Amino acid sequence: MAGRSQLTVQIMENQTRFSLNTAIENWRNELATQPNLANDDRRELETHLRDAIADFQQRGLNGEESFWLARRRVGQPQQLGEEFVKADPAKAWRERFFSMALGMIVFFLLTQIITFAVGIALYYLFPGLREFYVKSGFWPADAVVLIIGIALARGWFAQSMKLMWFLKSRFHLVSLVVILALLLSLTQTEFARENFLLHGHHPSVVAWEWAPWGENILHFLLGYLRIVAPVIFLVLLFPAQNQKALKRS
Amino acid sequence: MYNTAMLTKDLMAASSKPLLLSILAGGESYGYEIIQKVRELSGGQIEWSDGMLYPVLHRLERDGLIESEWKESDTGRERKYYFISSDGRKALKTERQQWLAVHNSLCKLWKIKPVSA
Repeated sequence: MAGRSQLTVQIMENQTRFSLNTAIENWRNELATQPNLANDDRRELETHLRDAIADFQQRGLNGEESFWLARRRVGQPQQLGEEFVKADPAKAWRERFFSMALGMIVFFLLTQIITFAVGIALYYLFPGLREFYVKSGFWPADAVVLIIGIALARGWFAQSMKLMWFLKSRFHLVSLVVILALLLSLTQTEFARENFLLHGHHPSVVAWEWAPWGENILHFLLGYLRIVAPVIFLVLLFPAQNQKALKRS
Repeated sequence: MYNTAMLTKDLMAASSKPLLLSILAGGESYGYEIIQKVRELSGGQIEWSDGMLYPVLHRLERDGLIESEWKESDTGRERKYYFISSDGRKALKTERQQWLAVHNSLCKLWKIKPVSA
């Protein structure tokens, strides 16, 4: 019996053992939920937290004590967010516009991709529905995107799909979005979409053959700009401080 | 922990600029080191909350009085270092004159009418 209870105690001890790395990771995630803190701010606060922890440890405190003291000293994430806004309200707005632009482009890209995915599925599975789909203005695809958007916003996939990396590296997300948008913009016009879905021509071929030499160059350019313009907007809005930090790292 | 001689909020806000500029005029530094230095200098009477320091630093940076750069320290850890700009040195000179003017006036007044301890 004695051996068994000792084992239980040992297990419990293992379960509750404090991990400094996990604690810092959790703290970082908590900080990431503050919309007013830029990447650079968070990185700076984290170096501060780590400095404080190291300092307390040097003074003889253990990892857990050091972490909690350092955390308290740096301040509550929510409070930090509020203070940072007060120092630079314009920055907070830039961040918000940035998030909005990013959201719009991601929505747009998803619509484009799903429009084609649904189109291809119909093309092979239910050819009879193709015309209806094109004439409908592709609303079934928009509906799918809307449902995905709502699901994301409500966090339905957050845990199962590990979507948190979106928040962790905004630079990677923006790069991916820009590349996708530029690629798609080469192939996507209203005309190409309809041609592909109705007649089965590959969209890139259609756009390329048709647009540069066709009568509606302006139409093509506008279709192209519609995708590229928000991307330019997004890149311009990418926080200057982050750009500076990236150049240096 | 609570110190009755702690600075009021207004005084804290007003003095942060000359303090930061003076510290950085003595050489580049990073947030944690700055806080430690202020604590040390004031004998614990000026207790800046750590997270509040950065908004102030960022504002000074935006005003062009200081600049910043991410650099690796000798321990291998990356830190954001701040250093004073030439505009910052000019601003410090003005701050210094103003604070000394207040200080000297108070000294004269208090010499005439000292506060009993």
